[in-house]
Amino acid sequence: MIQLKNIHKSFGKHEVLKGIDLSVQQGEVVVILGPSGSGKTTLLRCINFLERPNEGEVAIDGFNVNCRHCCKEEILTLRKKTGMVFQHYNLFKNKTVLENVMEGLVVAQKIPREIAQQQSIHILEKIGLNEKLKAYPSEISGGQQQRVGIARALALNPKVILFDEPTSALDPELVGEVLQAIKRVAREGITMIVVTHEIDFALDIATKVVFMDGGLIVEQGMPDEVISHPKEERTRQFLRRLLPETSFSI
Amino acid sequence: MGIKIDYSFIFSALVQELKVLPLTLTITIVPLMFGLGIGIIIAIIRLRKIPVVDRIAAFYVSFVRGTPLLLHIMLIYFALPMAFDALALKYKWSLHSKDIPIIVFIFVAFSINAGAYMSEIIRSGILSVNYGQVEAAYSVGMTAPQAMRRIVLPQALAVNLPMLCSMFIALLQGSSLAFSISIVEVTGEANIYAAASFKFLEAFIAAAIIYWGMTILVERITSILEKRVQRYNRGGVT
Repeated sequence: MIQLKNIHKSFGKHEVLKGIDLSVQQGEVVVILGPSGSGKTTLLRCINFLERPNEGEVAIDGFNVNCRHCCKEEILTLRKKTGMVFQHYNLFKNKTVLENVMEGLVVAQKIPREIAQQQSIHILEKIGLNEKLKAYPSEISGGQQQRVGIARALALNPKVILFDEPTSALDPELVGEVLQAIKRVAREGITMIVVTHEIDFALDIATKVVFMDGGLIVEQGMPDEVISHPKEERTRQFLRRLLPETSFSI
Repeated sequence: MGIKIDYSFIFSALVQELKVLPLTLTITIVPLMFGLGIGIIIAIIRLRKIPVVDRIAAFYVSFVRGTPLLLHIMLIYFALPMAFDALALKYKWSLHSKDIPIIVFIFVAFSINAGAYMSEIIRSGILSVNYGQVEAAYSVGMTAPQAMRRIVLPQALAVNLPMLCSMFIALLQGSSLAFSISIVEVTGEANIYAAASFKFLEAFIAAAIIYWGMTILVERITSILEKRVQRYNRGGVT
């Protein structure tokens, strides 16, 4: 359903992505792991063109965009097939919780206000925030803000939701509620691509784990294979630092 | 010789001058609105660095801020009729520059002036908005103009509310210069009303009370607005 072909991205002279090929099937939950600077976040941002790749092709749900020559309309169409959850939440701070979730529906998808409102309230209820509809982002906790972020992405009814280190900016005690919310989304069968450092969580929800290093995909496969029985030395090195020795005896 | 002040004249001057207060407010608020529009356009042109237009915009801001408001009124008052007549001749309009109400010159001059100052206020406001807000807007499928209109500009204006208030006040005081091309607003009325009895001091004291009163009112309104935007503006990671 999602096809990335030979994605290259450089910032100035520094090549961050050196030719990434990745395919994601409908309903898959792909977790991207890797050390910082390996290009995980850049790859994620290339999928919805928040970063424009220098080269390669992105295809979502049969809609193909060539990064070399693409127009604004193509990028917009592609973005409308995706939702994104940001590390720093990035909720619209001049909008209430409800307005944050409605915004994309009303402005981008042109859904009538009443219907958008109903749908948004329904999603916020599911995510346990129906008491905070009229609050501004600055008035709720980080965990709640991130859950609104998830609701905002979910409301768009996208083909895929991209999660960019959704728990990295949170206090440790707030991580749980956000992971719980993401798990719920995963269980609904929505295709997701998640960049995270939470290995246990990755094992729990992922149907596929991708390990990246130095702008390339080193290894990918079932979570059990990649995390518990990595084939590549680089993956083992990385996991050794994150997991206690015993948990991946070979 | 002590100063003798005719208090009752202050009062009657006040009543007289209040009659033209609507005119003073009109030549303040209308240019403020046009200035806001011009300011937003100029700010976006300069931030996007649109070739050529960007240079013109920078020149406009530099020139207008580098010359006094009184001069803008004079330049427009003398240049606009010439330009209008030239165009009227070329396109065979039946109108002549004599037919343009003088207040239009004031609107144009003040709007041009306000636009230049406003563009800098708005530019700094837009720059203060976290780029994550724009990315979030793109991520939900908004176009760049939609993100600007619905997310960035409201936040940019909210941040700079105190500066916009100052702009309003500066324009209000500046409106007294309209008398130089014989628009009888509050200051003008003070001049005319005092002329018969030579009680200029009293008339101008009355005018000062009006300007000051209006300024206080504007400040109050701003502080109410500020409280409203502060609800979301304070702190927070987003």
